[in-house]
Amino acid sequence: MRMMAVFEKSERIRHIGHLDIQRSVQRGLRRSGLPVAYSGGFHPHILISFASALATGAAGKREIMDVTLAEPVTPELFLEKMNQAMPPELHLIEAAPMDDKAPAMMSLVRAAEYDLAIDGEEAAAMLTAAIPAALGQTELTAMRKTKTKLEECNIRPLIHALDGAGNHIHAVMTLTERESCKPGMLLEALCRLAGLENPPRMVVTRLRLLGSDETGGFIPLEKMA
Amino acid sequence: MNQGKMTNQDQRTNHEKMERALDAVQKAPRYTGGEMNTRIKEWEDTPLRFGFCFPDTYEVGMSHLGLKILYGLINRESWSLCERFFMPWTDMIAQMKENGIPLLSMESRHPMREFDVIGFTLQYEMSYTNILAMLDMGRIPLESRERDEADPIIVAGGPCAFNPEPLAPFIDAFMIGDGEDVMTELNRVILERKEKGESRQDCLRKLAQLDGVYVPGLYDVAYHEDGTVKSVTPVCPEARPTVLRRFVTDLDSAYYPEEIPVPYTEVVFDRIMLEIMRGCTRGCRFCQAGMLYRPVRERSMEHLAELAEKLVASTGYEEISLSSLSSGDYSCLPELIRELMRRLKDKRVSISLPSLRLDSVLKESLEETQQVKKTSLTFAPEAGTQRLRDVINKGVTEQDLLEKCRDAFEGGWSSVKLYFMDGLPTETTEDLDGIGDLARKVVAEYFRVPKPQRAKGLRVTVSASTFVPKPFTPFQWDAQDTIPQILEKQAYLKKALNIKGVTFNWHEPYLSYLEACFARGDRRLGAVLRRAYEKGCILDGWSETFDFGKWMEAFRECGLDPAFYANRVRPMDEILPWDHIDSGISKAYLRKEKERSSRAEVTKDCRQGCNGCGLQRYDGICSWAKGKGDAPCA
Ligand code: SF4
Repeated sequence: MRMMAVFEKSERIRHIGHLDIQRSVQRGLRRSGLPVAYSGGFHPHILISFASALATGAAGKREIMDVTLAEPVTPELFLEKMNQAMPPELHLIEAAPMDDKAPAMMSLVRAAEYDLAIDGEEAAAMLTAAIPAALGQTELTAMRKTKTKLEECNIRPLIHALDGAGNHIHAVMTLTERESCKPGMLLEALCRLAGLENPPRMVVTRLRLLGSDETGGFIPLEKMA
Repeated sequence: MNQGKMTNQDQRTNHEKMERALDAVQKAPRYTGGEMNTRIKEWEDTPLRFGFCFPDTYEVGMSHLGLKILYGLINRESWSLCERFFMPWTDMIAQMKENGIPLLSMESRHPMREFDVIGFTLQYEMSYTNILAMLDMGRIPLESRERDEADPIIVAGGPCAFNPEPLAPFIDAFMIGDGEDVMTELNRVILERKEKGESRQDCLRKLAQLDGVYVPGLYDVAYHEDGTVKSVTPVCPEARPTVLRRFVTDLDSAYYPEEIPVPYTEVVFDRIMLEIMRGCTRGCRFCQAGMLYRPVRERSMEHLAELAEKLVASTGYEEISLSSLSSGDYSCLPELIRELMRRLKDKRVSISLPSLRLDSVLKESLEETQQVKKTSLTFAPEAGTQRLRDVINKGVTEQDLLEKCRDAFEGGWSSVKLYFMDGLPTETTEDLDGIGDLARKVVAEYFRVPKPQRAKGLRVTVSASTFVPKPFTPFQWDAQDTIPQILEKQAYLKKALNIKGVTFNWHEPYLSYLEACFARGDRRLGAVLRRAYEKGCILDGWSETFDFGKWMEAFRECGLDPAFYANRVRPMDEILPWDHIDSGISKAYLRKEKERSSRAEVTKDCRQGCNGCGLQRYDGICSWAKGKGDAPCA
């Protein structure tokens, strides 16, 4: 059976990269004593996939994984066993069984909601003040890094919500395999509008992953399992 | 005592500063902690706080078994907690300096000064400046005599503690020998001091009375005019004239962790290490570990199998390696492996094997279940000719080695690593040629296997390290080759090993030279260490930070000659700087071994009959001395 689980990557371990998080969750599954399923082949591995790789340096409040189990297990038991086996820094929040034929969670991600905690009150105030101007534009440029080059792109259509209060900026931005707006790109664009030469340090927390319903509106990805 | 002087406000500020620093460094996960099976015990409610310091980077330290043993052991007691400190890399050090962050523990991010005991593990000499750097970043006065009542007690243990003298000015107390028992005894004395408000000096005198504990500040060292040691004299009744190392006699009743921290990132040894035995009886004459960890003590099979199961369950690791100086000598290795395979059958754990000395039935079943990892094979003949191997008592014959290689090539292996040493006592060019010959013969063995049967891509890696004479070995009186001599030999070897399919690895001799100085150094070297540190020497084990020139300046400025320590043949009757430490191995035995060595006479493995190394003098220490040993399958 397949189990979808929502987990948190704590701020403390935000510098751990995606591959290491993957390995840590796999080891957690091995510790849990749950009946995990392995792939066939010469080097069998645990059947698990993550809805979206979270950047090194970012924390995640509601990240999503999809685990295949060799035998049926209740979500309650799954949560209990896993939380005994995981470090507190990688805590599981919710679990739900999935249809075996359901598409991979990865293919359903459309956008993500972020919190950007800006270091420095002055910078935060300037950036927040620039938000209305940013939303008023039809074009907002930022540099996008691809595998081979650095290119300019318009991120305005990728921003679906943007507001700020105190030291925090809150944003909902496109996240698909094809295109996405990363928090760093947003910060860069806002800095330009605010006239900030050096982008301030920030701590990024991805609050949740979003999919879309029939009407095209965003809904929490876990609701789609 | 003066604990808790740090306010919550300071604590928060340090934490925030650290978080900022983490964004500015490479490899931040080295500093973030929070790994599975690490523990943050209640700070306020735990009376004795121990800071375990590994004086090298996180990746190296987290690969170290001793850390895991003591971490578990100290945290297990309700009254003590253990948190880890590692040596930060240069980018982090710069951040810490710039932002005024003291060295903080991995777990609760408490500054070093807030701990009651700070314990360093001494695994190699070239980590010594890191100890000074860590104390300095921890805002603790570097030298014992500069510390006051509010400072933690600084202790150290590990193999290098057997010659503690170069570190004597910096360390308040050394633990000599097996650490499991003495660790708790030492913590108890320090806790008592805290509770009763005893003075630092009184506490150190009490520590000196514990078996296996050496408090260097309680000894006076006098020197002859030529710089050799004249005498080492205790200055108070609590200090014993000689300190005998500690022995754990029964490994099965000694503490072994059932849960070990699992790092998020890959470290050097990222797997379960199961210490199946301690000690080695082969008696290689260059090998310090072989002397220091005597006698051989084996864990029982039942205990090991149980530990393995528990560790697999608590860590989720995919691999177990059997660890010891010479695992192939474990008296019932095939039975142990079978038992491990049986118990871990469904757990998808691979077992890394130390040796090919397995019967063929077992080999087959290992291959079937794929529970064994086909990593590269390593052999350590150490010397290129039988004569020199006899001199060093390395019981490897050419025929034996070639047979094993053929076995391996037939079994589908294609890469072999061969380890040698250059600069061994009595070495000549013939011995260096021998290394080339041996490598050539290994290559020939590979080509002797019919093409369809052998794995593609032969890789023979020959590594040559520079011999470093070590205390408590039969070569403790010998000279190390000078740097020009070593360079010449390395150049010669490079030519001799210019063979297709063979890669030659070697290291510049400068680090080995310093290692030779500090391994057999006296107390005066403390000044050199401090001077080198002040000149900026840290992380000396890393080529990108090692600066030999600064070290030589430090020696010069302290008026000491490194050659006096490294390149001088010491007369047998000279008082050695570590003579007041008793490793249990008698000097008479080491002398006898040295003499046999000079006649190229081998000494048999003492499991075949006691050689009288000195341990037989103590009751109940070496079970082999009486003839039979207490091996689980013997
Ligand atoms: S006492 Fe004898 S048997 Fe025991 S380690 Fe020494 S030489 Fe070997």
